[in-house]
Amino acid sequence: MPSAERYLKPEVVNQIKRLDLRAQFIVRGFLQGLHASPFHGFSVEFSEHRRYTPGDDPKDIDWLVYAKTDKYYVKKFEAETNITGYLVMDLSRSMGYTYRQELTKFDYSICLAAALAYLMIHQQDPVGLLTFDRKLRGSLAPRSRRSHLGDLLSLLARLKPEGETDIAASLIQVAAMLKHASLVMVFSDLLAEPDAVLESLYRLRHGGHDVIVFHILDEAEVRFPFGGMVELEDPEDHRKLAIDADGFRRDYLAEVDAFRERYRRECVQARIDYVPLDTSMQFDRALMEYLVNRSARG
Amino acid sequence: MTFVTPALLAGAFLVAVPLVLHLIMRQKPKRLEFPALRFVARRHETNQRRLRLRHLLLLLLRAAAIALLALALARPTLRWAGAMGSQEAPIAAVLVFDAAPRMQYRAENRTRLEAAQEFGLWLLGQLPRDSQIAVLNTRLGPSAFEVDLGSARDRVRRLDPVANSQSLPVVIEDALRLLSESDLPSREVYVFTDLSRAGWPDGEVARLQDRLTAVPGAAVFLIDVGVEQPSNYALGALRLSSQVLSSRGTLQVETALHRMGEAGERTVEVVLADSEGQQQRRSQQTVAVEADGSQRVEFRLGGLEVGAHQGEVRIAGQDALAEDDVRYFTVEVQPPWNILVAAPDPADAYALYLTEALAPSMFRKRGQARFACQVTSLDSLSDRLAGDWSAVCLVDPGPMEPAVWKRLAEFASEGRGVAVFLGRNAAAVDSFNESQAQAILPAPLLRQARRPGGDVYFAPADYQHPVTAAFRGQADAVPWSAFPVFRYWQLADLAADASVVVPFSDGAPALIERPVGDGRAMTLTTPVSDRPHRNPWNLLPVGEAWPFLILANELAAYLVGSSEEQLNYVAGQTAALRLDPAQRRSRYTLSTPGKLKLPVTPDLNRNVLLVSATDEPGNYRVQAGGREGFDRGFSVNLAPQQTELRRIGEEQLRRIFGPMPFQLARDRKQLEGKQREARVGRELFTPLMLMLIVVLGAEHLVSNRFYRE
Repeated sequence: MPSAERYLKPEVVNQIKRLDLRAQFIVRGFLQGLHASPFHGFSVEFSEHRRYTPGDDPKDIDWLVYAKTDKYYVKKFEAETNITGYLVMDLSRSMGYTYRQELTKFDYSICLAAALAYLMIHQQDPVGLLTFDRKLRGSLAPRSRRSHLGDLLSLLARLKPEGETDIAASLIQVAAMLKHASLVMVFSDLLAEPDAVLESLYRLRHGGHDVIVFHILDEAEVRFPFGGMVELEDPEDHRKLAIDADGFRRDYLAEVDAFRERYRRECVQARIDYVPLDTSMQFDRALMEYLVNRSARG
Repeated sequence: MTFVTPALLAGAFLVAVPLVLHLIMRQKPKRLEFPALRFVARRHETNQRRLRLRHLLLLLLRAAAIALLALALARPTLRWAGAMGSQEAPIAAVLVFDAAPRMQYRAENRTRLEAAQEFGLWLLGQLPRDSQIAVLNTRLGPSAFEVDLGSARDRVRRLDPVANSQSLPVVIEDALRLLSESDLPSREVYVFTDLSRAGWPDGEVARLQDRLTAVPGAAVFLIDVGVEQPSNYALGALRLSSQVLSSRGTLQVETALHRMGEAGERTVEVVLADSEGQQQRRSQQTVAVEADGSQRVEFRLGGLEVGAHQGEVRIAGQDALAEDDVRYFTVEVQPPWNILVAAPDPADAYALYLTEALAPSMFRKRGQARFACQVTSLDSLSDRLAGDWSAVCLVDPGPMEPAVWKRLAEFASEGRGVAVFLGRNAAAVDSFNESQAQAILPAPLLRQARRPGGDVYFAPADYQHPVTAAFRGQADAVPWSAFPVFRYWQLADLAADASVVVPFSDGAPALIERPVGDGRAMTLTTPVSDRPHRNPWNLLPVGEAWPFLILANELAAYLVGSSEEQLNYVAGQTAALRLDPAQRRSRYTLSTPGKLKLPVTPDLNRNVLLVSATDEPGNYRVQAGGREGFDRGFSVNLAPQQTELRRIGEEQLRRIFGPMPFQLARDRKQLEGKQREARVGRELFTPLMLMLIVVLGAEHLVSNRFYRE
């Protein structure tokens, strides 16, 4: 494989078991694919010098100080503006679903969340984690230290999607909880009543937060690849429907498209970033979305 | 409806397969977890309804496809009575060949009959083994099944044209009767015809239909060997002014040139055989005729000597049908007939109207009169009867001795004629009602009927009698009412052998015929001798009296026996030549047109020579006793309808056959198809397969549309 871009593919990333490595792979592959450094031109400010220790980037060595003191010092920078990011994970059972992909929706969300966390911490943006099902379940306060990444990733890796969900109530809870304007990144399949969910998203937005909705569906949910007579069962409420898949496909696809289109339209109006994804897509789309959002705020 | 392989019909049970698939298989859907069920649920109701409809449609189409396939493979056939369901089962077949002379029409260098023979021989080879075969043609004769195929072939090969061909319905009827005797269930009639309309005369059609319904299941195949648009010149039947002429009379020969096809021109000529038997052209005309039209042609031949004359009218040149290009005729020229006219004194004055009508003085001077009239007083009648008279006319006779009546009866019974014109002199009716007189007269006289109003006149009911036949052409134009009859004799009931030739307009008999021995007596109940200014009984001979002229001449001709003599016949008729009892011989020689010489024996009792072998058109000659002996002849012509080429339409054929189906074929392939239909029935395989393809196509289309990716 000539480039690291392959690490952006879910099926490749799945072969890497450690989440921190996964995140690193995804981000490395992503950055290598970009022509210019995404950090170039970020407004960062010198904060202090500290002694060079092996492992630091040699490019950060301040050669002027070396000339004066004959010692290696590295410059420390601090971003002028810090964005506090929250990764909001949907723990509903439906997120644990995949039909024929390597990653479930939840796995995909985790990978994506990990990569974003890696990217943010790499930029010294503090990043926190919120998980919910019927209500908020767990949270990790945002930090920008590198060691925080480890905590965050280990927490992510331990999450399990099981149980019913109430996205709208959970998001309202999030909105109430966050005090400062933050970047809220929601990872969910949004399989709930859209009216309530949109209401809660507006609420978040109204609270002054930037919101990115990563709408993650399984590839099967987007393409409906079934054939013949099938009986479909909802994993959450166990409702069943027997249908002729071939005859239904058109109707189904029309319905999904209408659903996504509605979210897109309403989100654009509310200046929310809506990123429709499915589990067969590469991660770079989501990452790019984050970066564009980040630079717009920078 | 029957099936070739009915077992395969069981395949129709396979219709259950899609049904089972539809009903049972759908009980086991694949179970899948699917979180986005909300999207499914929302459309479930409408989709389900639509799907059910589509499924039903598909199910129907698939079931129909299977059912059609099973049905098609079982090979159903539509069958009607007589169909055996097999091509190979023996059949009873009658081949009917139209052998009329018109079948000699040449096209593609063979006659229609030859084409029919060729077709027939091929057909014989096609018939199933052990079939019963009969070969009939339109010649009159017995019909029977042939012993084997070989003799049937022989019979077909030996077919030749028949001059007096019967009509096809008659022969087909014969064929059907033959078929009804067969014990084979499958019966077929093959009719080889050129489909000329003349072969299907209307009169015989009804009987054919009866026979067709009486032989159910007989399949009739009409095999058309004719030409769609024949092109031909033809001569119509000859009309001779008379078959027996008096010497130096003029013979008028009338015919018509008929044309089928485009307009054209032909030379028509008359040829007479001279005493040596050599043909001499006497006259010719170039006749132009319109497309599909006809043109009258008339020839006048004079200066014929006493004796028999034979000749022909013919079209110069050749055409496709030679048989109708020539017509034959025979006439005999005789010296004028002697007629004795007896009248009361003054006899000449009494007889004037009659003698002037029979032998006008102008004709007499020129020697052209048909009759030589001698006038005598009634008193000397019995003396003069011994002479060589062909007929005697009594003009307004008075009472006569019974012996005279007896003499007259004897005179008539020798084959001669007596005419009695009753008038005012018959007032003493007793003399006329005596038995001797009643041998001549048709009935006793009753009284004189007076009709002074002038509203009674001759009113011939039909013009079938030889005496009135001359009026036939202009029957409506004869001004009979211009010649009123004021008085006539009413008669008692007519004798059993008497018949009215002409009645009056009030229904009473005017002219009555009564046979007497070999001769005949004619009685007119009103005289022809009254002058108009002396209280006349009628005005018949007065003024523009041409009807009287003709009537008197025809009456005389009939009395002398000339109008009875027939010398021209239609092929197949028996020719009869009257013999002079004085000169009859025991053997005569008949020369046919084909130059055959056949001995003929006369019927001596009836003094007549009968020739029934008149199949060949042409001039026949009968001779006996060398150069100075008996030498007469007659002619035989084809009936005009035997050479009529106008074709009959399919519509008319359908009318002829009525409800019975018939199959019309023009060539072998067509015939084979129709035979198969008649024997096996109509196979429904092809239409069923077509339907199957349509259903499968629809199924494919529908399913493709439903399950498009």
